[in-house]
Amino acid sequence: MADIERPKGDKSPLLFWKNQRITTYLIFGIIFFIFNYSEVLSEGRTWQMIENTMVMVIGSTALSVSLGLFFAWLVAYSDIRKKSLLQIFILIPFIIPSYIVSLSWTELMGRTGPFASMLDMLPFDIEPLNMYSMGGMIFVLGLSHFPLVYLFTVGVLRSIPRDLEWAAKSGGAPSHRVFREVTLPLALPGLASGGLIAFIANLDNFGIPAFLGIPANITVLSTAIYQEVIGFGSDAFSRAATLSVILAIVALMGTMLQWWLVKKSNQLETTQQDHAPRFTLGRWRIAIETAVWGFLLFITIVPVLSMLRTSLIQAYGLPLTSENATFSHYLFVLFENDRAQSAIMNSIFLAGTTTLFCLIVGTAFAYLRSRRPNALNGILELFIALPYALPGMVLALAMIFMWLEPIPGWNPGIYGTIGILLIAYITRFLILQVRGSATAFSQVDRSMEEAAHVFGAKTMTKWKSILVPLLLPGLLSGALLVFLTALTELTVSSLLWSSGSETIGLVIFNFEQAGYSTYSSAFSTVIVLTILVGMIGYYVLQQIWKKRVNNS
Amino acid sequence: MKKFFPLSLAASLTVLASACGADNVQEQAGEAETEETENEAEDSADDEEAEEDASADGEVSGTLSFYTSQPDEDADALIEGFNEIHPDVEVEVFRSGTEEVISRLLAEEEAGSAQADVLLLADAVTFEGLKEDDLLHEYESPELDAIPEQFVDEDGMYTGTKIMSTVLAYNTELVEDEPVSWADLTSDEAENEVIMPSPLYSGAAAYNAGVFSRTDGFGWEFYEDLHENDTTTVQGNGDVLQNVAGGEKAYGMVVDFVVANAKEEGSPIDLVYPEEGVPVITEPVGIMDDAENVEAAEAFVDFILSEEGQELSTEVGYVPIRAEMDPPEDLQGAEEVDELSADLNEMMQTRDEDTEEFNMIFGE
Repeated sequence: MADIERPKGDKSPLLFWKNQRITTYLIFGIIFFIFNYSEVLSEGRTWQMIENTMVMVIGSTALSVSLGLFFAWLVAYSDIRKKSLLQIFILIPFIIPSYIVSLSWTELMGRTGPFASMLDMLPFDIEPLNMYSMGGMIFVLGLSHFPLVYLFTVGVLRSIPRDLEWAAKSGGAPSHRVFREVTLPLALPGLASGGLIAFIANLDNFGIPAFLGIPANITVLSTAIYQEVIGFGSDAFSRAATLSVILAIVALMGTMLQWWLVKKSNQLETTQQDHAPRFTLGRWRIAIETAVWGFLLFITIVPVLSMLRTSLIQAYGLPLTSENATFSHYLFVLFENDRAQSAIMNSIFLAGTTTLFCLIVGTAFAYLRSRRPNALNGILELFIALPYALPGMVLALAMIFMWLEPIPGWNPGIYGTIGILLIAYITRFLILQVRGSATAFSQVDRSMEEAAHVFGAKTMTKWKSILVPLLLPGLLSGALLVFLTALTELTVSSLLWSSGSETIGLVIFNFEQAGYSTYSSAFSTVIVLTILVGMIGYYVLQQIWKKRVNNS
Repeated sequence: MKKFFPLSLAASLTVLASACGADNVQEQAGEAETEETENEAEDSADDEEAEEDASADGEVSGTLSFYTSQPDEDADALIEGFNEIHPDVEVEVFRSGTEEVISRLLAEEEAGSAQADVLLLADAVTFEGLKEDDLLHEYESPELDAIPEQFVDEDGMYTGTKIMSTVLAYNTELVEDEPVSWADLTSDEAENEVIMPSPLYSGAAAYNAGVFSRTDGFGWEFYEDLHENDTTTVQGNGDVLQNVAGGEKAYGMVVDFVVANAKEEGSPIDLVYPEEGVPVITEPVGIMDDAENVEAAEAFVDFILSEEGQELSTEVGYVPIRAEMDPPEDLQGAEEVDELSADLNEMMQTRDEDTEEFNMIFGE
């Protein structure tokens, strides 16, 4: 594709032309939807599928929100020990590829799995939980996405002024009322942001409903769209588009709910994050610590162990004994396979660039959105959220339509390079940063800025000495999400990559498809362990730095 | 109607893309391109000369865009072998699932022009669809003489490249008596023990459903019986293999070579070719009608079908399409296999109805 000329400069006619095209598209789009809806919606199966989708998404989001809020509260308020380490473990479910999580739970609960043999020892007859069910889907989705809620909520909780809670408490309110009537309303901006992102992530997830739902004959919107796209019948694309619009409407309802909740929430008056514990667990501390760590270790170690085991056995289906154990799969994926190394480099480049770009643009947009909210940037936010809500396959197809020949006969040369992946990632993940930054801004009262302004601080100074330190934790948790999500992205990449731009997710996908689950597990293990080592390294550095500060 | 989908979606994304500032992104793409060029230089050092004296001596050269659903290992071996004979052709690969490749190709076609020169996908029915839309280039390779004619398109639009039979796989620890017939899957012993890929998600499985439903003694009743017997469906062949090798299910309907590979590595799994015959997909190869580099495309197709090319994929574990060549151990070759087949064009025309029928039987 190197031989295609890439004209440069003079953007204005192009922009004008694009705007013309947008209008035309929109008009055609609307006409087409009106014609197609009646057909798709008149089928009983469509309604069944929408019902399945709603049950799955609401159930899993409820689970994510409860777990996320609980852990955020524990880390922000209680005197539980080793909080930073705890935080790393809370993030693990999010970085393990979802197919590994699904596979490991089905193995655990399967009839040859450890759970079944444990139940066998009991005198009465109990079957292990069937993971291939709506319950299984809700469980795995909820576990995979609760870290999203946690990340958005923990900073908000820390910023809630403790005197408010004290005041309520000294007025005689019991703790659960303080929590419900003071803490929760103040935490709503973060909880609603995290809940929305988890909601959307549950809605457009394909891997988990495909793995657990197909055997149970449960179809949801994302798998139905896939069925339509690959059916490539005469009206496949238009039916897929209709379903995508339904999905977009569901996502929109979620966004509306989030806006409504934020409007209802109370504005904060303080700005400083408060890291000191507000709640002592007292004599329950050991018990609670044991329970919390037990839970976290269980939900992280189950998938990690299953991944390790598969990566170490000679062949799938053999028991892990010293005879069957081998490191050869690791050697193969790391040294004999020339794709793995370049995939790691590509993914780091893509995730890094995407994060940097989103951090700047997303934060700037979030600033505008929270300081000067109006209809225009509200609609813009919906447009930014949409690509995250659409199934990856649909977004990837849209990217092809958009970038192959933006003007008929002119190929700008981005399609077929790593550039198209970068654009796709930025388009898809920008909303994560926007929500992260917007949550951070909602914590900083405008009066802080005004105060700085009144005292004559220049814009730069205002940002550097006042806003940045206050905002940084919130901005960085958004950036962390963008980075981790982009690093292991799969569906968009599987349609848009080209020679030389393979990504981590793609290498895993290719091994899986070819039936080499031992290789894909070995490679996934390498990736997950690398991320973990990175996070633990950061944690250790933090500890050393803290000690130094304390000593000096 | 087809066109509207992309347009409406693209509309919203255009807004975004312009909001994101396309400049920055274009720069990145530029950088990436440089990087890529460097890699290419390493891959085939004498590439640059090739671009200049293109085909001056009748030798093919230039770049060739190859879209395939083969596993990396297979595609890499083919390209390496091809480059030994034609070092001046640089093959750019896009590899993904058949479903992903075909979606990308059709989307490209809608957006302007398909970017592939050569296509290699799972089954012939997919190629029938492309043929129907006039997307293929007619080419009669000199290698066709060695290939049984039922695996070659009569209009010369595409040719099978290997024999992939869907067989009956079983877990050797769970099954004592080796099954012999497809009917064993609907027997009482196999209740809740059978797993297969879903025709709703896998093109190859849709092909099997098309064939079985049109074969005497099977029909849709076969699928009804499978459903009665609590047969499980999963997304693809890889999932079937995992479930049977891992002992979650005793029997699976799955492509033969993945079973042979797993068996060779030591998994507790084996395969049989049922006595009624087996559906065969052939991973056909075809050239796109608007291929930019037709010469190189034809040379590439010749190589894939040639004895050397077939030898390479046999080493990876596939059954060659050439009649005279021996298949890998445990697998049946082109001569030996008892193929169940049906009219390809008809199956293409009725694929929607077929999956619909399947959905009626297996749906909730």
